[in-house]
Amino acid sequence: MLALVARRLITAIPTLLAIILASFFLMRLAPGGPFDGERPLPPETQAALQTAYGLDKPLWEQAWLYISRLAQGDFGPSLVYRDFTVSELVAQGLPISLTLGGLAIALALLIGVSAGLFAAVQAGKAADKTIMMLATVATALPTFVTGPALALLFGLWLGLLPVSGTGEGWSWLIMPVVALALPVSGAIAKLTRAGLATVLKQDHIRTARARGLPETKILFKHGLRPALVPVASYLGPAAAGLLTGAVVVETVFGLPGLGRYFVQGALNRDYPLVLGVVTLYAALIILFNLFADLIYGWLDPRMRDG
Amino acid sequence: MSLYEIRDMAIQIDGKQLVEGVNISVEAGKCTAIIGASGSGKSLSCLTPFGLTPGEAAGSIKLDGIDLLKANAHQKLKARSYLAGFVFQQPLTALTPHLTIGAQLKEAAAQAGPSALSRRELAQKLERVGLSRADERLDQFPHRLSGGERQRVMIAAAIAHQPKLLVADEPTSALDASLRGEIMTLLDELREEQGLAMLLVSHDLASIENHADHLIVMEEGRVVESGATVDLIARPHEDYTKRLMAATPRLDEPAPDLPATGDVLVGTKDVTVTFPKPGWRRGQIEAVVDASLTVRKGEALAVVGGSGSGKSTLGRAIAGIGPLTSGVISWRGEHLPERRDRNLAMRALIQPVFQDPVASLDPQWKLRDIISEPLKNLRPDINRQTREEMVFKALCDVELGEEYLDRTPASLSGGQAQRVAIARAIIAGPELLVLDEATSALDPLVGSSILQLLAELQRNKEISLILITHDIASARRICHRIAVLDEGHIVEMGEMESVIGNPQAVATQKLVAAS
Repeated sequence: MLALVARRLITAIPTLLAIILASFFLMRLAPGGPFDGERPLPPETQAALQTAYGLDKPLWEQAWLYISRLAQGDFGPSLVYRDFTVSELVAQGLPISLTLGGLAIALALLIGVSAGLFAAVQAGKAADKTIMMLATVATALPTFVTGPALALLFGLWLGLLPVSGTGEGWSWLIMPVVALALPVSGAIAKLTRAGLATVLKQDHIRTARARGLPETKILFKHGLRPALVPVASYLGPAAAGLLTGAVVVETVFGLPGLGRYFVQGALNRDYPLVLGVVTLYAALIILFNLFADLIYGWLDPRMRDG
Repeated sequence: MSLYEIRDMAIQIDGKQLVEGVNISVEAGKCTAIIGASGSGKSLSCLTPFGLTPGEAAGSIKLDGIDLLKANAHQKLKARSYLAGFVFQQPLTALTPHLTIGAQLKEAAAQAGPSALSRRELAQKLERVGLSRADERLDQFPHRLSGGERQRVMIAAAIAHQPKLLVADEPTSALDASLRGEIMTLLDELREEQGLAMLLVSHDLASIENHADHLIVMEEGRVVESGATVDLIARPHEDYTKRLMAATPRLDEPAPDLPATGDVLVGTKDVTVTFPKPGWRRGQIEAVVDASLTVRKGEALAVVGGSGSGKSTLGRAIAGIGPLTSGVISWRGEHLPERRDRNLAMRALIQPVFQDPVASLDPQWKLRDIISEPLKNLRPDINRQTREEMVFKALCDVELGEEYLDRTPASLSGGQAQRVAIARAIIAGPELLVLDEATSALDPLVGSSILQLLAELQRNKEISLILITHDIASARRICHRIAVLDEGHIVEMGEMESVIGNPQAVATQKLVAAS
């Protein structure tokens, strides 16, 4: 298992490098630059800024400089949010995004697995069909629809929860977390239901039944773990997406998370900011896929021997 | 009164009557065996009374005085978990993959009531079923064990709570011949030692006839014949029983009359096949080591060995559908290159037939397309009309009619599907067929009809055969010679009759003893 972790971490380095380089050059292909505004700056100021940030050097040299600074943990300065380094901006946004994403995963797992479990036990009955229909709806509804709808209902009409921003206490988290968790929980419910339907037909369940175990024990002790393998493989990429990609939800609820910096950075051609966030996203995705692989091994020991 | 007594049982699934009029009785310390083809209702009859199938039973079913159909839920649970133990067919899948052997054994023992077995006691239970290093195995997951070891764990778990009745549903069908004997002997010992009543289900008469006191023969949901094993084997009354017995190959039956053979057709010299070890371990697994053999024109060679002996790997190397690490394969004395470099004519010469006939045919294709595909690829010179005539002829050769041309594999029985696979193999006019366990997935009656078909092809078309199998008795019906593989090495090779009559290698002796 340690060998798996070590190998994954080593192969992560070239992967990250490739992603950084690809993003670096793709971004430079896009027209415009960080200092283009509605009122064009005088050419001398432009040139001075370019020189100050090293943007007048050949592209390859810039790329090399960026990567060598990155290796020392320096993400560089933001070109648009003057006086802030990218690290500072990320340090502001990341905790909010992580809290939001982490809670959303936990909620999605809780709702998804219990709903899938219940549906599998009730297979073919009305409860099963209702749950699966709701799961489809939840998966299909985009967050830019559910987010505003929640805000309208609970924030404006019922006045129970704050509509935007990070107010006092925890209540401001509820709506963004629910909006973020809903589509994922729908997918998890479907995967759990399908996984259990397959596993409950298998021979080892019959063996457990032959031992006279109560059905709930058969379900939880013998059935659930192998049934969650598809959930784990979905959860790796999904978790990375939730933790990082909550752009829409952060915008809808006016939260200063990482996603907003990402979009703003891209629109402003704030090269170091975008690259910093991309690097972080890529690292998180690699990390979560590694977690998913470790979880496989726990869910089904046969996978440890690959 | 018997410990377990079934009177006039009928079983329905979704309103469809699948079993009726079945009587079974098992006495303490005795073994009753039910035999029949797949779909005869034998497993259904054994498992339904305990709620282990979707079926609903009617009639009278009494276990140790409890009527299982009239009992309340508590009594039923008691009967299932306290009085009975179960061993199933597939040791690969019948154990929960994510629980250790120890955890599963503990759970099984707890059926007798809450008990705190010590680690030592659990290990002793594994030792009793013949597992070595028992203590270490308690912490292992099932997939680390071989098929035979897993079946021993299944047996240990089935009797861990000291039941009065052991129901064994095809306990040896998934194991190779020498393991079959060992597992059956173990079951016999345990039965005597603990006074167990045993209900055994099998489709293979040969592997159980020495272990059962009483035989019940089932066909299409009914009991055809039943009686003491000795009487029934000596004097079967019903036609079905007679056919079943004739279809079961035995080593003591007279040697068959085999067609004459010609010159050497195919030969291998020092064929070695190695695979890299799975996972990240370094090194190579030697699947086949320095195998040299020959097959003459019209000759059938049995390549025999236990599972993992390398027999299939050798066959695949010869047929050019598997890897070849080193060594030479020759055809009529000339070097036969590796698969990639074989031309169409060379490829047409050797054709394979696989174990699972239904899985080896594309379910989306019609039989006419399946059978003609090799012709299209290997003989592009043949026009459409001739091709259709040849497809029809190939179907006739395997004794299937024209009406099969537009059917799909899903509508075929196992035996019909294997005939189609053989038709596909012979259509391009091969001189050698490599049959990898071509009859082992089939019932004895169907398997013996496939062997008969192969014998006819051998006689009428002078096709040579390499028959890869773990079943010596079946192979003897059509094979001139035998090569025995053990751990990748050919340990013995010679004329079939002389090898069986006087086996030299330990592996051969085991296989002969198990037949």
